[in-house]
Amino acid sequence: MSVGFRAVQWNRDKLIYDGILLVAIAIYTSVFAAISWQLFPPKNIPDAIDIGIQTSGTCAFLMISIILSIGPLSRLNRRFLPLLYNRRHFGVLAFTVAALHVGFLLSWYIVQGNLPNLAVELTTWKDYAKFIGFPFKVFGIAAFLIFFVMAATSHDFWLMFLTPRAWKAIHMAIYVAYGLVVMHVALGSMQDKAQSPFVPLLLVGGFGSVVVLHLMAGWREWGVDKGIAVNSEGWIVVGVPDSIPDKGARIVVAPGGERIAVFRDGNQIGALTNLCAHQQGPLGEGRIIDGCVTCPWHGYQYRLSDGCAPAPFTEKLTTYRIRLSHGLVEVDPRPLAPGTPAAITYP
Amino acid sequence: MTVFYAFAIYLAIGLVSAIAFVAVGAQQVTHSSLTMGARIVLLPAATLLWPYVLGRWLKSRSIP
Repeated sequence: MSVGFRAVQWNRDKLIYDGILLVAIAIYTSVFAAISWQLFPPKNIPDAIDIGIQTSGTCAFLMISIILSIGPLSRLNRRFLPLLYNRRHFGVLAFTVAALHVGFLLSWYIVQGNLPNLAVELTTWKDYAKFIGFPFKVFGIAAFLIFFVMAATSHDFWLMFLTPRAWKAIHMAIYVAYGLVVMHVALGSMQDKAQSPFVPLLLVGGFGSVVVLHLMAGWREWGVDKGIAVNSEGWIVVGVPDSIPDKGARIVVAPGGERIAVFRDGNQIGALTNLCAHQQGPLGEGRIIDGCVTCPWHGYQYRLSDGCAPAPFTEKLTTYRIRLSHGLVEVDPRPLAPGTPAAITYP
Repeated sequence: MTVFYAFAIYLAIGLVSAIAFVAVGAQQVTHSSLTMGARIVLLPAATLLWPYVLGRWLKSRSIP
């Protein structure tokens, strides 16, 4: 993954990205808190803290909704790819805002001297049978624990140590956490005495956008997968060489569901797994830059000829046999050992 | 409260083993260099996942 591990792998682009995020968070929280203060002037310290709870909570929800929308947005339109590049920092910042939300909540109990009431709320088992009155904070706590594990393991060291497959599986838990957050916000909003219309609107807008974008991206991929033909020998027919964009790829699906990226670089054609060894990013949506297949997510590079990362990096990708038959490019869906040379050149 | 105390004990053991891991073990399981900042950043996850981390560390030591 890297020749050395630092605390944070910052570069100029990431610093700009993080700077924009911090400014956006500052603007959102200031505006939300100022409007809430005007509409519901606090009568005491707990009321003021309550504004902090709502401000940080809605900000975290909005951030997580945007993070989950970036993936499908990038699939639907490549112009959104730059947002994906530093999504990990976005996630850690969202966790930090969520931690602030938890901090405000705990201080709300502490200033009133009734922190034990939180434990009572969570362990009053008969309330779990109610709809209105359900201890909605339990959903928030569960989601926060998942976000904590994700933020704590977000460093590239853990990607290497846990293996990309396990790391990806852990980080896919964001969907479980998001579901818990949606239930937390929905029930919390229903139990809110102020009955502000903003939170329900934010919930419907955020959750609705995430669902619609995922369905649209899924529908598009399903349409592509449906058109793939397999010949009598079990090889996947990709099409004529020119149907593969130069310095780009076409993605085909093996019968087992594995996605294969078939790249063309001039008159050289090679097939690699569609999963980048870094964060399992969609390699086939990347380009060939400086003679190497380049992942669209974080720019990790591999040689088209054998799927190996150029020195000093050591990652190797699964490759696939490829041939030209009756003028058509065909791929053998049976994977070769990572790093096996398999690309061909055609006249 | 039992669950809370059990979790606190789990984290206390995790913190001790995490300090040992980031100080010594992390370098043994990777061929890459680790800065002091990186070691500090690794602490929370090493504390949370200490049974797995210790297992992997011990396994890597047993491989010559």
